[in-house]
Amino acid sequence: MSEPVLDEAVIDSLRQLTPPGEPDVLAEVLQLFLKDVPRRIAKLRAAWSNGDAAEVHKVAHSLKGSAGNVGAKALHAACRQLDEHGRVGDLSGTGPLVESVDREFARVEAEIRRLLG
Amino acid sequence: MSVLQVLVADDEPVSRTVVGAMLKKAGYAVTYAPDGEQAWAQLNGDDPPAIALLDWEMPGLAGPEVIARIRAHASPTPTYVILLTSRDSSADIVAGLKAGADDYVTKPANEDELVARVNVGARVVELQGALADRVHNLEEALANVRALQTLLPMCAYCKAIRNDQNYWEKVETYFHDHSGVSFSHSYCPNCYERFVKPQLDALEDVSDATRKPNRP
Repeated sequence: MSEPVLDEAVIDSLRQLTPPGEPDVLAEVLQLFLKDVPRRIAKLRAAWSNGDAAEVHKVAHSLKGSAGNVGAKALHAACRQLDEHGRVGDLSGTGPLVESVDREFARVEAEIRRLLG
Repeated sequence: MSVLQVLVADDEPVSRTVVGAMLKKAGYAVTYAPDGEQAWAQLNGDDPPAIALLDWEMPGLAGPEVIARIRAHASPTPTYVILLTSRDSSADIVAGLKAGADDYVTKPANEDELVARVNVGARVVELQGALADRVHNLEEALANVRALQTLLPMCAYCKAIRNDQNYWEKVETYFHDHSGVSFSHSYCPNCYERFVKPQLDALEDVSDATRKPNRP
């Protein structure tokens, strides 16, 4: 069996953040993720196409943070590697990583839509 | 006890929301800032948050730069600052603390650890507040003591004291205003013999004189 797209422990802890009678924190965070992340993946792609390693580092770093917060492990791993490549200023051979960010986001998005019902 | 206000400054909205929700659940009042400039505006404004969680990397002003600004403004109750970051090497931790952070939490934040560290911050903030109040009270008391140590011009005859406004006032009034001391009036044994007893005797003589005609 393959690893779940979203870490269940992380999703569970987000679910438990909702105080009684308040709007659902999990739903809020997941909706925010879907709204905010595609914009930043587009920025990542643009920076990568321009060979702007510093910008790749910056955008991948923040995407890594978002992915970590919803327990998107594979997306987090891809962003972490791009973050590191950008930080040292060497983007060579990172094409597959950018592809995997796109692919993993698609999987995460599908899982989030399923969770949100 | 009033609810402590905590600022969460992070340009990354998902992380900001999650951290904020963790703190709200723990009973804190949470405000948000999407970058360093807005974080600084809140920290430098009226009714600033007592505790600030600052992301290390933010556009514009980064976390350490916001800390440098906070530390440049001396305050009796300084903001308790926790740096939030995914950097986790020990060199980065040292750099963050040297920049003036009080503590350091790595992202993504673990709820229990984050809340425990913010609770430590709340304890420090309360202690500092109590200490600042105490220092203020002591300074006030010291100012009063100083006011009484100065040379006081006193009338050699009626013992009135000349105050700062060049106005002669009674000893009782002067000391009451400058120290909070109140006087209750009485007489010492010497003055009883010198002043009170003759007056009482005189009174008795008068009353004897007025009663005499009525005696049979």
